[in-house]
Amino acid sequence: MSFEVPAGATLLVVGPSGSGKSTLVLALAGLLARDVPGDWTGELTIAGRDPRERSAASGEVGVVFQDPESQLVMDRAEDDVAFGLENRGWPRDGMRARVPEALAAVGLTGLERRRPTTLSGGQQQRLALAGALAPRPAVLVLDEPTANLDPDGTAAFFERLAALRGAGETTIVLVEHRVDRAWPLADHVLAIGADGGPIAFGAPDEILRRHGGRIEAEGIWLPGRARGAAPARPISASAAPFVVARDLEFCYPGGAPVLSGVDLAIEPGERVALMGPNGSGKTTLGRLLVGLLRPTAGQVRLGGDDPARMPAADLARRAGYVFQDPERQFLARTVEDELTLGLRPDERDGAGELMTSLGLALDRFAARSPYLLSGGEQRRLSLACILARRPSLLVLDEPTFGQDRRGYEALLAILRERVAAGTAVVAATHDERFVSDFADRVVEVREGRVTPGGAA
Amino acid sequence: MIQRIDLAAAQLDSILGRASPLLKLGVAIGWFVGLFLTTEIGPPLFVAGCVLLLGWLVGRVPAMTLARGLAPLWLAALTIGLFNGLFHPANTEPLAVEVARIGPFRLTEPALVAAAALAARVVAIVAVGVVFAQTTDPTHLVDALVQQGRVPERFAYGALAAYQAIPRFAEDLTTLRQARRIRGLPGSWHPRLLVGLLVLAIRHGDRVALAMDARGFGSGPRTRYRRVRWGWPDVLVVVGAVAVLVGVLGLS
Amino acid sequence: MATIDEGRARGSWSEAGWRTRDIVVAAVIGVAFGVAFMAVNVAWRALDVLGPAQNVFYGVWLMPAIVAALVIRKPGAALFAEMVAAGLFTLLGSQWGPDTLLSGFVQGAAAEMVFAFTMYRLWTWPVLAVASLASAAAAWVHDWVVWYPEVSTDVILVIGAFMAISAVALLPIASMLLVRALREAGVLEGFPA
Repeated sequence: MSFEVPAGATLLVVGPSGSGKSTLVLALAGLLARDVPGDWTGELTIAGRDPRERSAASGEVGVVFQDPESQLVMDRAEDDVAFGLENRGWPRDGMRARVPEALAAVGLTGLERRRPTTLSGGQQQRLALAGALAPRPAVLVLDEPTANLDPDGTAAFFERLAALRGAGETTIVLVEHRVDRAWPLADHVLAIGADGGPIAFGAPDEILRRHGGRIEAEGIWLPGRARGAAPARPISASAAPFVVARDLEFCYPGGAPVLSGVDLAIEPGERVALMGPNGSGKTTLGRLLVGLLRPTAGQVRLGGDDPARMPAADLARRAGYVFQDPERQFLARTVEDELTLGLRPDERDGAGELMTSLGLALDRFAARSPYLLSGGEQRRLSLACILARRPSLLVLDEPTFGQDRRGYEALLAILRERVAAGTAVVAATHDERFVSDFADRVVEVREGRVTPGGAA
Repeated sequence: MIQRIDLAAAQLDSILGRASPLLKLGVAIGWFVGLFLTTEIGPPLFVAGCVLLLGWLVGRVPAMTLARGLAPLWLAALTIGLFNGLFHPANTEPLAVEVARIGPFRLTEPALVAAAALAARVVAIVAVGVVFAQTTDPTHLVDALVQQGRVPERFAYGALAAYQAIPRFAEDLTTLRQARRIRGLPGSWHPRLLVGLLVLAIRHGDRVALAMDARGFGSGPRTRYRRVRWGWPDVLVVVGAVAVLVGVLGLS
Repeated sequence: MATIDEGRARGSWSEAGWRTRDIVVAAVIGVAFGVAFMAVNVAWRALDVLGPAQNVFYGVWLMPAIVAALVIRKPGAALFAEMVAAGLFTLLGSQWGPDTLLSGFVQGAAAEMVFAFTMYRLWTWPVLAVASLASAAAAWVHDWVVWYPEVSTDVILVIGAFMAISAVALLPIASMLLVRALREAGVLEGFPA
C-alpha cells in the first residue's frame, strides 16, 4: 500500500478483524524488529526516517493501545505519566513541569495521586493518552482506543482527541471501528481489506462516495448506515414471565450496595437490553439472574426456582451466561473438550451440529486449542458451549464488543433464531446499534437502580 | 476479597513513612535475626511492644488499624506455641516436672516455658509486619530498592507494573470459577483453573510489556521523577532500632 | 499476536539478555500464583491464621520459582518470580510480610543455585527435582529456625522428610504439566519453553 500523510493531519484506518491494522500500528511505533525476514517491501518513514532505526526511544511516536489496564504501569497516576519521560532521560525539573500539563490536556487534573487501577476505564484510557503525549511526540498512533470503553468514556476520549487535532501539532493515526465518532475527525481515510491489502486511501467524502459499497462488502463499518429495525416480537398466548427478580439487592462484603430494590420480570422469547454506564450494576444484575451471584436481599426465580441454589448441572440447562471476553471462559485443552465439558452424552450430537452451523465444524476444529482460535472463532465457540444445553435464559455481557460487521451479523442471526425458539435473551450492552437492531425492550440500570422501560 | 491496602496521608508523611523502606526492611530483618537467636519470652514481647508503640506514635498508624492487623495473631501464636510445646524434647525426660497431659502428650514445665516464648515470637513478627506494611508505600519501596539498594531498575519497575494486575487477576479467577458453574460443572475449584489464570496472566503480561516498550522502557539510562534520599527520618529509625536492641540485651 | 511477538524490537539496554517481555512475564507468573494462593486462602480462611502456612502449602509456594525458570530459562528467573510472589503479600497488607520476603528469598535462591549449577541449560525432570528439593530444604531450615526451634529433632526430621517427598513427587511434574498446557495454549511463543 502507498500513502502519504502530511504533518498535523489525522488519518483514520478502517478494516475488518485480522486485516493487519495492529501490525501497522506496531510498525509505525518502531516496535517491529528490523530482523524479521520478508517483513517489508517498500518503505515506511516518519519525518523522513525509518521508525525501526529509532525504536521507541526518542519519543517521536506515542502509542495508545486498546486495553486500558495493560497500559497502567505505576501505582499513582502522575508517576504513570512520568514513566515515559523517565525512560527517555528527561531532567527532573522538566518532568515536574510537564506531568501536570499532560494530565490537564486530558482532563485528569486533580487525580494525580490516585491509583490508576481505581479509575474508570475511560479515565484510564485518558491517562494512557497523557502518558503517550507527555514526551511531545510528533506522531500519535491509537489502536482502537475506545473499544473497551462505555459511551461516557468514549465521548470524553474523542473530545480530547478532537482538541488535540485542533491544536494541529501532532500527526494522528487512528485505527477505529467506531466510525460514527471517528469519521468527523479524519482528514484522510485508509481502508484495508481482509487480505491486508489496501482498498482505498483518500479524503473521507471521496472514500464514501467511490468505495463505500466495496468497503461495506468487506465487512467494515461505515458511518450513518441505515439500521435494521427490530422485528416485532410474536405475542405468545401464555406470557408468564420466566425470569422474576423481586426487591433484589446486592453488595460486596464491606461495600455499598451495587444494586438495590430491583424488580424485573422477563418472559420467554423477550429480547431485553440492559443499558447503563460501567459500574452501574448491569453486569452484577446479569450474574444474579443466572445464579452466579447470591443476592444479599430479595430473590431471583427462574421458572420458580432459585438459580443460586441450584446444582450446577441443572442450572446450566436452565440458564446460560456468555462473558465478554471469551478467553476468560475457557476451561479445557481442546475445542472438543471445551464443548463437551459438562455435557451429557445425549446432548453431544446436538452440540456437534450447533458447531457446524457456527462454522466451527468439529472435524476441523476438534483438536485445536481454544486459545489459538481467532477472536471471532473464540466468540462463537464460547457461545456454542453455552447454547449446547439449550438454556431458557441467555444472558450476554457486551456481545458486540470489538466485532466487525461480519461477526455482528452472525451474532444477530443466532440470537434471533434462539428467540424464535422461545429463549429469553438479556444482553448487557453499550452498543446502541445492537439495541435498535435486536432488542424489543430496554432496561436502564443507573447507580444500582432499574427503570424497566418499554419498547426499544 | 483480595484488595490493596490504602495508607492514609498521615501514615505516609510520618517519620516512619518518610524513612527509607529499605532501611526499615533491614531493621526488621535485623531484629528477626536477633529474635531467632533467643528463646526467652522477654525480648520478643519487648520488641513487639516497642514497635507497636512506635507505629502508633511515630508512624501515625491508627490504633484500630493496628488492632485489626494483630487479629490473626492469636490463633497463630497458639498453634505455634502448642506445636512446640507438645513436641518439646523435655516431654520425654522422666525427671521433668509435668504440668499437664493432653491425650498421649505430656506437657512439662520447660516445654511450657519454651512454648510461651515462641508464642511471643509470633507476636513480635506480626507486630513488626503490621507496622511495616502500614507505614510503607509500595512505590517508595521500589524506588528505595533501586536508588539505595542497587536493584536493577527494569526488574523493579517491571514487578511494580505486574502488581497493578492484582485486581484483574483476582477477577479473572472469579470469572473462571463462575464459568465452571454455568457450564454445569460441580465444583468451582479445579487445577485447570490455574492454567486458565496463567494463560490470561501471561497474555496480559505480553500486552503490558509491549506498552512499556512503546513508552521507551529499557531503551537507555533512566532519570528519576521521585528522589529517595537519606535524611533525618532514617537517622531516627536507626537510633530507635539501636535503642530497642539495647533494651533487648538489657532484658536478657 | 504471535508473529508480532516474534518480531518485537529488543531493548538495547539488556542485562543478561532479559527482554522487557521476559521481565514482565516472570513477574506476572509470580503475581498470578500469589493471587491464586490468596484466593484459596480467603476462601478457606484457615491458612492465614496459621501464618506459616508454608508447612502445608509451601509446595504451591515454590511453584512460581520453578515455573518461571522453566518458561524464561534465564539467570535470576526463579529468584525474581519467587520474590515478586512474596512481595505481593506485603502489598496486600499481610502481617507476615517481612518474614515472607525472607523465606521467599531463601527458597528462590536455593532453586536458582541449582539452575545456575546446570548453567541454565538443562531443564529435565531430574534437574527440576533437585531444584525442588533444594527449595524445600531451604524452607525446612527456615521453618525450623523461625517456627520450630524447640521441637525435638526426630519430629523435625520427619517433617523434613515429608516436605522433601512431596516437593520431589509433586512439584517437578506439576510444573512441567503446567508449562506444557501453557505451550499448547500458544502463550509461550517467543519463549524457549
